[in-house]
Amino acid sequence: MPDDYRQYLIRLIAMHGISEIMGALPEKEWVPRAPTLHRKLAILAKVQDELGHGQLLLRVAEDLVAPLGMNREDLLNGLFQGTIHFHNVFHMPAPTWADAGIIGWLVDGAAIITQGMLAQGSYAPYCRALERIIAEESFHIQHGESICIALAEGTRAQRQMLQEALNRWWEPLIFFFGPPPKSELTKHQDLGLMYRLRNKTNEELRQRFFHKYVPRIQALGLTIPDPNLRLDKETNTWHYTQPDWSKFKAILRNEGPMSRARLTLRHSAWEQNRWVREVLSTRAAVAV
Amino acid sequence: MTARIETPAQALADPTCRQALVELLFQLADDDLVLGHRDSEWVGLAPHIEEDVAFASIAQDEVGHAAAYYGLLVDLGEAESADALAYSRPPDAWRCALLLERPNGPGHYLENPQFDWGYTIARHYLYDLFEMVRLEALVESAYLPLAQLAAKVRREERYHLLHMETWVKRLARHSSVSRARLQAGLEKAWVDLYGLFSLGPEGPAMAALGLLPGGRDRLWQTWRERAQTLFAEAGLPWPGDPSPVMLDGRAGRHSADLEALLGPLTEVYRLDPTARW
Amino acid sequence: MADERLEYHIYEVFAQESQMAPAVHQFSLLASSPDMALILAKENFLRRQKAWSVWVVRRDHIHRTGPAEAEMFDRMDKTYRETEGYRYLKEKWRRYKQEPLTAQGMT
Repeated sequence: MPDDYRQYLIRLIAMHGISEIMGALPEKEWVPRAPTLHRKLAILAKVQDELGHGQLLLRVAEDLVAPLGMNREDLLNGLFQGTIHFHNVFHMPAPTWADAGIIGWLVDGAAIITQGMLAQGSYAPYCRALERIIAEESFHIQHGESICIALAEGTRAQRQMLQEALNRWWEPLIFFFGPPPKSELTKHQDLGLMYRLRNKTNEELRQRFFHKYVPRIQALGLTIPDPNLRLDKETNTWHYTQPDWSKFKAILRNEGPMSRARLTLRHSAWEQNRWVREVLSTRAAVAV
Repeated sequence: MTARIETPAQALADPTCRQALVELLFQLADDDLVLGHRDSEWVGLAPHIEEDVAFASIAQDEVGHAAAYYGLLVDLGEAESADALAYSRPPDAWRCALLLERPNGPGHYLENPQFDWGYTIARHYLYDLFEMVRLEALVESAYLPLAQLAAKVRREERYHLLHMETWVKRLARHSSVSRARLQAGLEKAWVDLYGLFSLGPEGPAMAALGLLPGGRDRLWQTWRERAQTLFAEAGLPWPGDPSPVMLDGRAGRHSADLEALLGPLTEVYRLDPTARW
Repeated sequence: MADERLEYHIYEVFAQESQMAPAVHQFSLLASSPDMALILAKENFLRRQKAWSVWVVRRDHIHRTGPAEAEMFDRMDKTYRETEGYRYLKEKWRRYKQEPLTAQGMT
């Protein structure tokens, strides 16, 4: 395996796996607070799947870093030291139950678009993991849809809660697919195309998201918080307000609203429970 | 030989039976929901990623079992829905044992949690063994709908018990550090252990009517015998019989921990209990 | 050393759907021992699918060929050992059922 191909894969898959682990945290906030027993079970299962996806992806990344003398401990330390980034959406606050619904519906909806493309890439172990993941994501989207539709059909306060959550998540969703072409930020995108790990640009994926979800969001009577959003029927292209991409860069540097809090939560749990991982490690049992 | 009770209507016809059955079902449901809730606070923070995934299944099973027991209470006319029972009762209407409402450790699940894996495993093992013994009695329950449900629940509980036994043995045998952590957890759980075996004021009726065959004595004897076997296998000293507790959760008397748990549990539901969520 | 980096064993996980089904590779996980690997395998890889049995094997106990050896599984024509190589028989039987072979003309 060429070195730069390995390096690209490590960067891609470690970030993906770490993002799944960190991605459990915003929704996890709502697991103990889910408003019915059914919702409690479903959101528990959903967050569990995210952790399971993290497990699959980290295993693939761990096998890639093993020849470099590294393992899972190093990947997690990379997260804590800021050398491995996690996805921009998971730096955002989720202050209401509706946020849990929007994450399940639209963030997972965006994720399945990206993952569907990545699953056709050139590295088989990654594609195998993605196949397992995609099979579960369809449940996640329906779980999110179910929460959002219940709120949309509900009281005025519930609808307002949903609209406010959409307002909060719209910009992170635009950020989700990464910057458009001809930006200094897209060099990784080009390498990905070169190595046949992706066959679509960030903008193509974002357009696909608009085509699929804008009509559905509108069908629930919600207002998308972008007055410039419109479909150019001739070119079949959505026009939208360009967000401030320097903000995106700052989020990835762990300068988002919840970056520090979530990293601290994850890091302190990891350190406090190191003694348990010692029990699970190859470190020999000491006779007691 | 106790009389077989095949339907909710038959159970309702006898006030003594109805009362004992309702109390028993609340104990079963509340134990599982409260522990499932505590387990769910761990999600995303467990010590090992594979364990995080496995532990989340156990949390789900507990909540699922609670929902099924609440369903039997709905059939008996206690409420319109399982959710109404889970989300709208005041603390003194809960029948869980104190052991299960205790937090996983200091801190809040959102802010600076310092959860204790030694206590988590100790408490869960002690409860899962109790639950298995209780389910073995319940499959012979005179109340047929409960006997049938217990048979299904028992299948999932086999995994829980295997999971916890594996951890207990591993922690006990690995190093002085892990053993000390486990023993500290066992000591802490032991303080509340007596209350787990309380069946509350209706306990004698539960046994006499065959709703819970053998009653408290059977639970305690069987439990102690099996727990001692595992302790011996793991090389753990037997802490002795537990002392009676001040607060009996089965009688609706709880610690402040239950109130602290019900706050988040019902937070969204309370925004509008009449809304559909 | 307290802060020495921890190492883990990798276990490969297989599962059988039923007693008659082959054990199919699922994925891999990190665990300390076979018993721990078994309890972790069930919920990590068999949360939805049907299963009858789960197997775990430490990866360093598995011997396998790699990509470099994959070529050796390519083969030349070996239809003489496949039913495909004997398709012409069907046509023969059809003909001889209509017109049995006789000893006539054979010497």
